[in-house]
Parts: sequence; structure tokens; C-alpha cells
Amino acid sequence: MVAAVVGVRLRTAWHLVRREWWRGVVAGLGLLWMLVMLPWLIWGQAVLADQGASVRGDLLVAAVAILTLGWVVVPLVLSGLDDTLDPSRFRALGVSARTIMPGITVAAFLTLPALFVGGALGILGLSWRASGGAVLAVAIAGLALAHGCLVLAARVSAAWGARVLSSRRAKLATFTALACALAAAAPVAYVLFRDGLTAVIEADLDPLLARLGGTPLGAGVAAPERAAAGDWWGAAWRLGLQAGWLVLLHAAWRDTVAHQLVSPLGRGGGAQRRHDRILEPVRTLIHPRDPATAAVHARLIRAWVSDPRYLASLAGVLLLPVTFFALVVPVFDLDRRWAYVVPVVLAATIGWGRHNDVAFDSTALWLDLVSGRLGQAVMRGRLAASASWALPLILVTALAVIAWAGRWDHAPGLLGACIGVLGVSLGVAAVSGVVIPYRAPAPGASPFGSEVGAVGAGLVAQLASSAVLAVLVPLVLLPFVLSLTVAPAWGWVACVVGAVAGVAGYAGGVRGAGAIYDRRAGALLAAVA
Amino acid sequence: MTNVQAPALSLRGLTKRFGRTLAVDRIDLDIPAGSFYGVVGPNGAGKTTTLSMATGLLQPDAGGVAVLGVDLWSSPEVAKPLLGVLPDGLHTFDRLTGGELISYAGRLRGLDKETVRRRRDDLLAALDLEDAGRTLVMDYSAGMTKKIGLACALVHAPRVLVLDEPFEAVDPVSAGAIRGILESFVGTGGTVVLSSHVMALVERLCDHVAVVGGGRVLAAGTLDEVRGGADDLEGRFVELVGDGREQRDLTWLRLS
Repeated sequence: MVAAVVGVRLRTAWHLVRREWWRGVVAGLGLLWMLVMLPWLIWGQAVLADQGASVRGDLLVAAVAILTLGWVVVPLVLSGLDDTLDPSRFRALGVSARTIMPGITVAAFLTLPALFVGGALGILGLSWRASGGAVLAVAIAGLALAHGCLVLAARVSAAWGARVLSSRRAKLATFTALACALAAAAPVAYVLFRDGLTAVIEADLDPLLARLGGTPLGAGVAAPERAAAGDWWGAAWRLGLQAGWLVLLHAAWRDTVAHQLVSPLGRGGGAQRRHDRILEPVRTLIHPRDPATAAVHARLIRAWVSDPRYLASLAGVLLLPVTFFALVVPVFDLDRRWAYVVPVVLAATIGWGRHNDVAFDSTALWLDLVSGRLGQAVMRGRLAASASWALPLILVTALAVIAWAGRWDHAPGLLGACIGVLGVSLGVAAVSGVVIPYRAPAPGASPFGSEVGAVGAGLVAQLASSAVLAVLVPLVLLPFVLSLTVAPAWGWVACVVGAVAGVAGYAGGVRGAGAIYDRRAGALLAAVA
Repeated sequence: MTNVQAPALSLRGLTKRFGRTLAVDRIDLDIPAGSFYGVVGPNGAGKTTTLSMATGLLQPDAGGVAVLGVDLWSSPEVAKPLLGVLPDGLHTFDRLTGGELISYAGRLRGLDKETVRRRRDDLLAALDLEDAGRTLVMDYSAGMTKKIGLACALVHAPRVLVLDEPFEAVDPVSAGAIRGILESFVGTGGTVVLSSHVMALVERLCDHVAVVGGGRVLAAGTLDEVRGGADDLEGRFVELVGDGREQRDLTWLRLS
């Protein structure tokens, strides 16, 4: 069964590459990048080998802990995991979780990122060879277990995230997750604010890494250091802890797979709605009058409050200010005015995040396409739905930041800059969404999944929209930066320039994307299907 | 803008290729206005691809489509309002309720709220979906999803209906209601184009039929013209499409 399941995974990838050549190019570029990294890894391994066992152990523990957190968080906020072997695809075959688990477990380790990280950890682990064969064996075993935990933790986090966001309490779950993230970051932020980064590193880093070495985040990686010090019992229990964590993660994943085999995501649980929100839309900041625009706007407002894929985007975006205030400001001991970055980056992230918005409709797009030449109306409705919540959020955040900094004289410039960045980034994203749409998780599928190669296609779209924004956003921000560095009078210029650029970017995005939408109407469905 | 003498749907040299597969090969077809037109063909014959190109969902590689004399691909703002479309196998906006989905389709077509509200309620009642009108479409069965899709195709009172497998997964009672709606639509001058695998259904409903195979039209005309000397449409269909496959005996499937 393992060979059959893994075979399906590999054959699917091969067929997709044969069908769409650019997937092969993207995979080739990924491989090339990995090859470029190889000499650096070998060099890093040599540097590590020259360090003492304690420094080497600490560096590896820190690296693996950060990698593990990245693997758990990135699929939830940035791009999904390969879901070629999404367990729900096995539902009709009547197989049990026990039957398919070995196959999908092996397949999870056969993705390019998993293979690369495994290889990289293996190379860095060789730095323990100077401490003898037995220590090297412990290091390789510890790193292998840590790698296993990293890959399985990503699967479990994506599966749990999808399950929670698909529940009827999705909104509550999203905000609870944000509150938990805030609560987790708050003590760190408090200590960093109180003592400063340098003092924290001097006083707390060593104990922190030692503590991590006793947790599933770093136990396996810390084991060779204990073995090198002759503490074989310490090494053994750390390997045991890492192995136990691996078993636990696998059991948790198997539980979610078993659940997915019998419980489809994306059912509404028979929920009834009293009001027709297309004809009686919820009042928002923007309420379009044109019937088609208003209909699209109302539909997207419903998606923003109930569709797990949109809620996942929302949660990812809102994590930004939490991270900035909790970690970046205290770590770098920044002046309070640096907090102005938060609403500006938030505006750019929200806008940029909609660069594949049209593809979220998947093939349901047909209804918009057959209803006329509606490019302008559809794109205006889509952008209005995003702006309906994003604009108030950005303005409130900007005012909160100004209140925190105590510099109300900066308000006009910052508000203008934020409006400008939001409008321009939404406009660029709208155009990107119709020029280079790529396959997004379908309605009802896991919001954290992506098909083979979609990650690569997404990368092209993400890079293109990022490059355009990297050129336009600084132009919008220039007057505001001048108001902070040259003369306060530039603040009013920033206010006017931002408002004009925001409205122009927004309107230009609607117009441009709408025209392209109409011109590409016969190709859009195939592009997102 | 429309030409009353023109065919309801006119396909000229319609061609579509997917990679090395020629899905639709220079199809020419005129569907008379006021007809109940069936499009039949084996799986993979190109029916859905043809209907997708005929309704603006898929850009043809070559050829043209006219709806009541209006070129669909150069004047979609005039041609598309004439069409009501029910595709097969595509998602719907399933986070809306059934009622909201009909309202959405109506508002996209530019209807005012009061008209949409009235037609929405009529359609829900006519298609036996009154109780499900406030339920999210994601909780619908396949048959209910088909019916709500049909309601979306009808809400703006189009002149030509293009329906891909409209009776698939629909229960017999609802199928009877749908047949009644479609027959009444044709009776008042509308045109229905439907694709189906069920020959008996096409024979019962349609006055014209086209048999599609290998991306080409193998026969087209009135039901009698296409049937020719054959006893029924199914016989003629098998004759046209050919059944050259070797019938393999699945002995392992026998219980005794």
C-alpha cells in the first residue's frame, strides 16, 4: 500500500509537469537553489565542527527550533502544503486511516522542501564527527527525529487549522487563535521591553536554549551535546522525548486523517439564514449601488465572515501587528515612531494578499462569466468587499499607533500614506488576480492545502505583484518619510498625495482589472479550475 | 439588436484543442429558434466543451458563436443576457443560501430588487425548494444543486436556455416539474438546448437533436431526420458513434 500511495503522489507530479511545462521549470529553479545552497551548508558544517560542543549544540538547537516554528506557522499564513494526497480524496475508496497512513507519511517526506531540510540537517549533523562515532550516531538519530517532528507538525497544524476554520465557530476560533498568539508573545515582549535585546541575550539566551533542549522543539538536537559531555543518560532521555513526540504527532495526524475520511470539510451543518443578504446586504462602509456590483460585494462580505479560506487570510494578516509590537520593536529597541510601519505594512499586506482573489471563486466563477460583460462590476464589488473592512481597520490602527507615539501632528501624513498604500496595493492585486491567477484551495477544501506546482505558480504571481508594489509603495510613502525627516509640512503633502494615490490606485485597479477580466473571460475559468 | 429570423444559436467552425487532444473539431451547427434541441454523444465526445464555448465560458481556438444573430465573443454584453446557462460539474457559490444564490444571479443580470424577490420566490416554489431556500447551498444534495442552478439560469427570463445534463441526479418528481417548465418555455417561443446521455429523455422532450462524436457533429436535424430508418434514437446513436469495443466477460464478478 505504501508503494501504491507514494506512486500516486509521484505519478501525479509527473503528469502535471508533462501537462504544464512551467511547473517543471519552477521545480528546476527550486532544485537549482538547493544546489546553490549546498556549498554554503558544507561550509557551515565545517564552521560548526570547529566550535566547541556547547556552542555547536546551542546553534543547532536554535536553528531547528526556528525551523520547526516556521514549518508550523508558514503553511497557515503564507502558502499551503502539498495536498495531492489529501485524505478526503481516499474517501470513496473505503480505506481506513490505518491503511493509508504509512503511504501518506512517506509521501509527506518526499516533497522538495522536506527533502532539502532533511539533507541540510544531515549535512550539519556531520559536524559532530569530531566527537566520535557514537556521538555522531546520536546526532544523526536526534536530527532525524527532529526532522520527522518538523514535517509531521506542519501536517498536524494545517489539518487542525482547516478543521477549526471549517467549524461553525470559525470566527470565534480565528480570534481565539489570535488572542492566544498575543498572549504567548506578551511575556516575551514584556521582558524585551523591560531589559532590551542585548541584556536578554546575555542573561537569558543560554538558559532559553538549555530549556529548549529539554523540550520537543530541541531535545533530539541537544542529545549529542549531552553525549559528548559523557552524559549518556541525558542523551538517551532526550532522544526518547523526541521519539515520543514524533509518535504523538503521528497519532494526532492519524486522528485527523481518520476524521477527514468520514467527515467532509466545508459543510454548513444545516444552518439556516433568515435574511437574503444579497437583497438586504449588511451595512458596511462602502455600499455599491449598481446591482451587479452590490451583489458581488454582498457575496464577498459573506465569504469574509464565513469562508475558512478568507478567515485564514484574515488571521495571517492580523498576526503582523502582534509580531511587530511584541517582538520587532523591543528586540531592536526601536523609537516609538517606528510603529508607524505597522499600519503601512498592514495596508500593503492586506492589499497584496488579494493578488489571487478571483481564483478563490474556483469554478463557481461561471455564474459571473455567463451573466454579461461584468468585469468592472465584478472587480469593483470584490475590491469594495476587501476595502469595507480593511479601510476602517487600517485607519483605526494608524490612529492607535499615533496615540501610542503621542504625535498627533503626524496623523495627516500617516493616514494619507496608509490610504495610499492600501488603494495602490489593492489595485495592483486586482490586476494580478486576473492576469496571473493560480489555483487556490477550492471551496470546501482545506484552506491550507495547495496542489503540486500551485506553490510555484503562486510564487511567480507573488513575486510579480511584490515587485510592482516595491516600486509603487515607496513613491506613495516618500512625502510621509520627508515629513518625519525633513520638514513637518510634508505631512499635509503626504495626506493629499496618499489620498489621491489611494483613490487612483483603487479606481485604476478596478478599471484595469475589469477590462482584462472581460478580455480574458474565456480563459479565466480554465486558469482557476 | 437581435435578428428574429436568425437561429437561436449558430456555431461556425468551432474548434478547441487541449494540448495534443483535439476536443472540438470545426463544429458547424444551427439551432432553430423555438426548438427543443438535444445534444447527445458518448463520454468525451466534446459536448461540454462545445456548450462551454457556446455560452462564453471557454474561448474557442477558432470559429464563432452567434446568439439570435448576435456574435457572442465580440458583443457579450448583448448576447449573454439572451442566454440562460446551466453548466455541469462546476462549483457554485455555496456559502449563499439557495434563495440568495438566485437573488445573486438576478442582480448580476441587472434586475431590480423587487423583481428578483418575486421571481426568486416563484422559482423556489416551482422547483420544490421552498423549504431549502434558507439553507446554505453547500448543504444541498447533487439534485438540489442542479435545481438551484436551473433557477439561476431562468431568473432573468432568457430567450435561449443552454443546459448541460439538467436532469442528472434529479428525482422523478422534480424532473417532471422541470420538464413542465422547459416545455412551457419552448411553447412560448423560447429555445432549449440540452445535453444528455439519456436517449429516451431526449426522444421524449426534444424535437431536434445533434449527435456529437470525436469533437464533430455526426448527425443533426429533426428527431425523425436523425433517427432515419432506425427504431429509436439509441439504435441510431450506437450506429453513428460505433460500438467496436470487444465485450470483455467479467467472469470474476459473477457470484455463482
